[in-house]
Amino acid sequence: MARSIAIVEDEPLIRANYVEALNRFGYEARGYGSRRDASTAFAMRLPELVIIDIGLGDEPEGGFDLCRELRAKSATLPIIFLTARDSDFDVISGLRLGADDYLSKDTSLHQLAARIAALFRRIESLKAPAASETVIEHGPLKLESERMRVLWNGIEIPLTVTEFWMVHTLVRFPGHVKNRDQLMREAELVVDDATITSHIKRIRKKFIALAPEFDAIETVHGVGYRWTP
Amino acid sequence: MSLRQKLLLVALCTLALPVAGWLYVRQMETLLREGQAQALVASARAMARSLVVVDAPLPPAGPAWFLQRANVPITIDGYADDWASLSPWAQPFGKNSRVMLAEDDHWVYFYIDVRATHRRRADAADRLALNADHLIVSIASGDDSQRYLMASAAPGATTAIALDADAGVLPDRINAQWQEDGSGFRAEFRLPRGLRLDRFGLGVHVAADGDPDPLTADNRPLIDFSAPLSQEVARLAPDGVRVRILSPDAWLVAQSGKLALPDLPAGDRPGWFASLVYRSLLATRLDSDSAWAEDAPRIDLPEVREAMQGKTATAWRAGEARGSVVLAAAMPIQMQGKSHGVVLLEQPSRAVPLLANRALFGLLLTSFAVLLVAGGVLLLFATRLTIRLRRLRNAAERAQANDGRLDGPFPLTDATDELGDLARSFERLFEVVGGYTDYLRTLASKLSHELNTPLAIVKSSLDNLDHAGLPPEAAPYLARARDGVARLGQLVRAMSEASRMERAIASAEAEDVDLADIVRGCAEGYRALAGDRRLEAELPPTPVPMHCSPELIAQALDKLFDNALSFTPPGGWLRIALTSTVDGADIELSNEGPPLPAAMQGRLFDSLVSLRDKATPGDAPHLGLGLYVVRLVAERHQGSASARNLEGGVAFTLHLKGLPRQRLG
Repeated sequence: MARSIAIVEDEPLIRANYVEALNRFGYEARGYGSRRDASTAFAMRLPELVIIDIGLGDEPEGGFDLCRELRAKSATLPIIFLTARDSDFDVISGLRLGADDYLSKDTSLHQLAARIAALFRRIESLKAPAASETVIEHGPLKLESERMRVLWNGIEIPLTVTEFWMVHTLVRFPGHVKNRDQLMREAELVVDDATITSHIKRIRKKFIALAPEFDAIETVHGVGYRWTP
Repeated sequence: MSLRQKLLLVALCTLALPVAGWLYVRQMETLLREGQAQALVASARAMARSLVVVDAPLPPAGPAWFLQRANVPITIDGYADDWASLSPWAQPFGKNSRVMLAEDDHWVYFYIDVRATHRRRADAADRLALNADHLIVSIASGDDSQRYLMASAAPGATTAIALDADAGVLPDRINAQWQEDGSGFRAEFRLPRGLRLDRFGLGVHVAADGDPDPLTADNRPLIDFSAPLSQEVARLAPDGVRVRILSPDAWLVAQSGKLALPDLPAGDRPGWFASLVYRSLLATRLDSDSAWAEDAPRIDLPEVREAMQGKTATAWRAGEARGSVVLAAAMPIQMQGKSHGVVLLEQPSRAVPLLANRALFGLLLTSFAVLLVAGGVLLLFATRLTIRLRRLRNAAERAQANDGRLDGPFPLTDATDELGDLARSFERLFEVVGGYTDYLRTLASKLSHELNTPLAIVKSSLDNLDHAGLPPEAAPYLARARDGVARLGQLVRAMSEASRMERAIASAEAEDVDLADIVRGCAEGYRALAGDRRLEAELPPTPVPMHCSPELIAQALDKLFDNALSFTPPGGWLRIALTSTVDGADIELSNEGPPLPAAMQGRLFDSLVSLRDKATPGDAPHLGLGLYVVRLVAERHQGSASARNLEGGVAFTLHLKGLPRQRLG
């Protein structure tokens, strides 16, 4: 059975495009134009994944409210923010509310599909036992690529899909410097340098929050970043 | 000229005050004088009438001979030596003669001086005497009168012969001395006072002048200084006034009183300065004629001459005593329509100058004080005004330097005067300018934000189009459309980059790092990008510690390098140099390439300023944000960014001082 995806987006043309594209990718996508419509529908039945625009019609922060509402209903429902906004503040707000990923509207439909697939894969793999060949271990770090989980000293670090892919890129070849372009490509992300920097910062923070001694991601000025084993 | 100097100049207007006061004091003095003059004229009139009424021995009307008092004994010798002291008042007679008359206790002396260059000489006894040069002398005493013919053929003693029959007490002949030289002849004789002469007549007959009547004589009364009249005058004269009676010819015939002033106590006596002030500022209309002061037998003053015409006249003169004035009033004495002389009243006065001086001094002192006060007040006012204006100017300049925004409130805006208005206008202006600057600053990011949604529509539509089963010939167009959208997307991202960078730079966190490490790392990274261009790195051997944001500095270096690389020709050189300075460090990135145009140097680090030519098709758009980011980074590190031309190249320098340390906790 096709997975159900809800798209809450006030711009009808974008909504239609996304719905059609996702339907074509084999999902059962539904579009909602306002927070109320979405809330009403979600009260009947929760979709398996929700894509939310932050600004909804008259409510500039409507997406955040909806996210909060959904997170209250289900702790595991994957939520992706999709917005024209790209300020760090919005990103942090969205992620703090429990969104699983945050994409700008620049993102192509393919990238979006890739992320959706990754999220579903992560959910799926969490149910099944991990296949040992997909696990990368470096000292305290344990990276399960199927489940898209990162563990540090056995504690899971709550990374978004984008962040996971970045860490994954770095960890696959420890000691190799990955420049920003490479990170972007691996993370299926089209953003500018500053956004990469802030992503890396956030990853570091997430690690440090659970393991204060963490300093495995090293900045190589003028080039990029590398994982120091 | 500053405002203060201008206001001080304006303060000079108060100088009009003393001038006005001076005019006023002068006017007042004139009024005082007029009052005094009128009083004196009234006295003079009363005096003149009284003299007529009491039948005082007034001098006769018409011309008269005046007998001067002989101060030295006079010898009858025909020479004028002993007349020297009297000669200034010699009475001219006819067109070529002078007559001097004098008296002492016993005699009346006569001296007649005739100018005659062509002589015809004869003795009085000569029959032809009347045809030669001769004098006719006529004297009268009471009812008796006699005429004498006086002539001499040679110098020396001569005798005048009586022409008329027996004339009582009058002698038959007069012994005289006759002297002559090339210029004329002189006769001198005397008659005893006992004759009581009251008239004297003289006829000068010079043969060369062709006299038709050789026997005529001009008879005039004889007058002299009259003691009885003086006594009469003394009886009538008011106190403190000198009274003088003058004959119609202005001879002094009677006098009473003195010009003395009561002595003042030393403190009240006007000083030399006061009298100088009085003379130079007030008493400019005092006559300086000194004839009145002399002990002269004839007082020939303008006011006297005027009185002779029958008019009343007054005059002011400087007095003998310092700071005093003398008022003179001349009044004709009229009796039966004939002028019998002039009463001249002279009143010395100290009151007027004293009063005027005091008034003037008071005035000058007051106006000087007013001038000082006004000047001081204006100076204070101007200073305050200048300070306020300067504050306003400084605030305006600060605001201007700060893109129309002022740290803190605009000064003077709560003032109620015009400066307050100006300040409020400035404030509004800068608010508008600041708003406009903000608008411009955020325009790009707002615009890009708004453009994102339609861009997403196009993009997602194109993505969908891929799967819509397009004919193969449509594929290139789809690719082109995708390319165009991608480029549009880059543009939109670049537009919002500035504000995103500003935010990122403002929130950057500082670490203690070795700047040399960062620069070295960057240089290594750039080497790969430089391609066939040479990249040198000059780093100090010792670490350059700095409290800074390494990401930001690397980012700024990225921009500089990107910029430098695009201007460096293939095979050219680039150089990164780090030098430690006193309070920070300089990072210089220089490259071979065309020099910077001089006109751009000041604006090079501004937002949306680009030196590049129009982007070639297919290139990423260039909005001139790179160097702006460099500047922001430098300023965040309390430093600055600068650019200069080198020999065959360009150098951009980052002057860094480090981020301010935040206090812990």
